[in-house]
Amino acid sequence: MAHLAGLGHALPERVVPSTELAERLGVTEEWILGACGIRERRWISEGDTAASLAERAAQAALARAHLTPSQLGAIIVGTGSAPRAFPGVSAALQKLLDAPGIPAFDVPLASVGGLFALALAVDLSPRTGPVLAVGAEEMSRVLLRAPLAKETAILFGDGAAACVVAPGDGPIAVVDVRLGSDGTFADALSLGPAGPLVMDGRTVILQASRKLPAAIRSVLEPQGLSPADVDLFVLHQANLNLLRGVARSLGVGEEKLFVNVDRVGNTSAASVLVALSEASEQGLLRPGARVVLAAFGAGFSWGAALLRVAG
Amino acid sequence: MTPAEEKIRTVLTPFARSPIPDDVDASLFELGVLDSFGLMDAVARLEEAFGVKVPDADLTPRRFETLARIEAYFTARAA
Repeated sequence: MAHLAGLGHALPERVVPSTELAERLGVTEEWILGACGIRERRWISEGDTAASLAERAAQAALARAHLTPSQLGAIIVGTGSAPRAFPGVSAALQKLLDAPGIPAFDVPLASVGGLFALALAVDLSPRTGPVLAVGAEEMSRVLLRAPLAKETAILFGDGAAACVVAPGDGPIAVVDVRLGSDGTFADALSLGPAGPLVMDGRTVILQASRKLPAAIRSVLEPQGLSPADVDLFVLHQANLNLLRGVARSLGVGEEKLFVNVDRVGNTSAASVLVALSEASEQGLLRPGARVVLAAFGAGFSWGAALLRVAG
Repeated sequence: MTPAEEKIRTVLTPFARSPIPDDVDASLFELGVLDSFGLMDAVARLEEAFGVKVPDADLTPRRFETLARIEAYFTARAA
């Protein structure tokens, strides 16, 4: 099918602890921790953008893949928070990478954007050669827009991650990918040109808690696998409580979950790729491991991918 | 109290963050009885208790906002 040839991520230097945010929002740190399990997140500073973070992540992924930008066949960026509706972060990233001529486009699906970018890259790479799949967000730019909703303001962080997807076999094979959308819920999670971010949290949680386990089973069952056969679940880092709920629904222990939401917050489209890149850096993608990615975002849209690390 | 309401109160009790109201039409969300994650877990337990699978299209908070709505939904589905 295709394989992941290189991973990289970039997080802003500025750390925003929940104590700081609690004071700003008139809540307590304990309330934030109980609501989402996030102790701190990273926010961009002056001069940084989703595109600049994406460029750092892309250069790291390309270096690990032993490729240069000129060898890419396409650039796909999952993002939802860019200041310009079009052209999107993909155009800015392409310029920063100095890789003109190849197709570059955005996937504006919020938290599932990175996974959709990866899935599209898997299908595109046999035709174009290596594809750069990216998730990049500057959520801090939008989440404090009035009217301020503390339930959403506590969740989000900025960040970017990139993955070089190359055709054929490789060290991390993409075994299968499944995607889905249901526009019935389009109004439950949305962001207009001037904001604010609209999120019907109860509906998002109810639907995500159902769709994520179903998506995961949908990539496992055709392979004759069950959740117990998976070594590591790298899920969209939406909220610690949701991650635990998905683990319960799948009947797997929390030790199989990769968790970084407590340190980086919910980085939306970047989330699942940042988590995968960190898991790789921490040596968690062990030889022979079966790894499942899954995410849920705007639309609603959702998906899962099954990876197999070479033995 | 109907047997269904009694069953619902029993199921909700472990997830309740404040006392479950006597008023079956009171909002469980506005009273802080169920938060998003309590609701997520409660629906799963209600499915087991009533032997009913809630279709994805029915998974909206409004359907589970009050004891009366929960009872109406699950008794209709179980029938």
